[in-house]
Amino acid sequence: MTLTRREILGAGGGFAALALSSLAVWAGDIVDIAMKGRVDGSHVWFDPIGVLIKPGQTVRWTNLNPGNSHTTTAYSPKNFGRPLRMPKAARPWASDYLLPNETFSVAFTEQGVYDYFCIPHEHAGMVGRIIVGEPVTNGWTQLDGANGDLPEEALKAFPTVEEIMAKLIVPPA
Amino acid sequence: MKKLALAVAVTMASSFCAMAASDVAKSPPPAPYEQVSKLVKLPDFLPGMGQLFVDPATLPAGPFLAYDHDGKLVSSIYMLPIKELNPDKRFDNLAAPGGNVDHVDVYYNAGHPGVPEPHVHVVLWHVSATDEARVAK
Repeated sequence: MTLTRREILGAGGGFAALALSSLAVWAGDIVDIAMKGRVDGSHVWFDPIGVLIKPGQTVRWTNLNPGNSHTTTAYSPKNFGRPLRMPKAARPWASDYLLPNETFSVAFTEQGVYDYFCIPHEHAGMVGRIIVGEPVTNGWTQLDGANGDLPEEALKAFPTVEEIMAKLIVPPA
Repeated sequence: MKKLALAVAVTMASSFCAMAASDVAKSPPPAPYEQVSKLVKLPDFLPGMGQLFVDPATLPAGPFLAYDHDGKLVSSIYMLPIKELNPDKRFDNLAAPGGNVDHVDVYYNAGHPGVPEPHVHVVLWHVSATDEARVAK
């Protein structure tokens, strides 16, 4: 028996929809993350906020917010002295400001957990987390002081490693 | 004599205000106002606000002068960082060159280049609520 996409969604509800989108992430070479916001700028976010990818996959961020600029900036001392929240061996990225419909891509090869933020919106909790392959044992997530001076709103917003490993894709709250 | 001096001062002040309002009624407003999209990387026309100009010396509070697609002034916007709304900080004597105010909106903003932290927008609309549509998109 072959199910159409509509039948799968109808039969399985949210779980089926999640499974489909999760499989799509693993199937392609490029994983898309949107930068979004309300028209009045009162709320901004990455969508998805957490994602599990395979080594070698590329993540592409696109600013879909018509009234704001956003960045995707890795947590690294090389980016404005921010705390290291990515594998030491990986190269940190910084997109600079993206205007509406502009994109920025990064290819990930080093396994581990990567956290990133939007420069003008870190204090509003606009952050995201990417896991490449699987979390590395004794990586930065186990280190004291990894939270550094991150704003509370940012710390609250990260999805947990366990949630990302279980769901593959974590939508914004 | 004192009354005369006061009258002259009041007349000068009111004519200055009138002149200031007419000066900024059309885009672009005179220096020291500068186009926000040329100061920071933001879209030139912001849906819901319009095309913004600000005197950089007044950042972050402003006022930001907002214009519609025809270059007509629609609002003056003040951007007040939430962390600076505390017992030790005041925003006094902010300029208000835009003239008559029809109504006021106040709302939270998560931040943007130029004011990269959560803040409050205080919007003095110089047009009716219906005419806000001129800057809706």
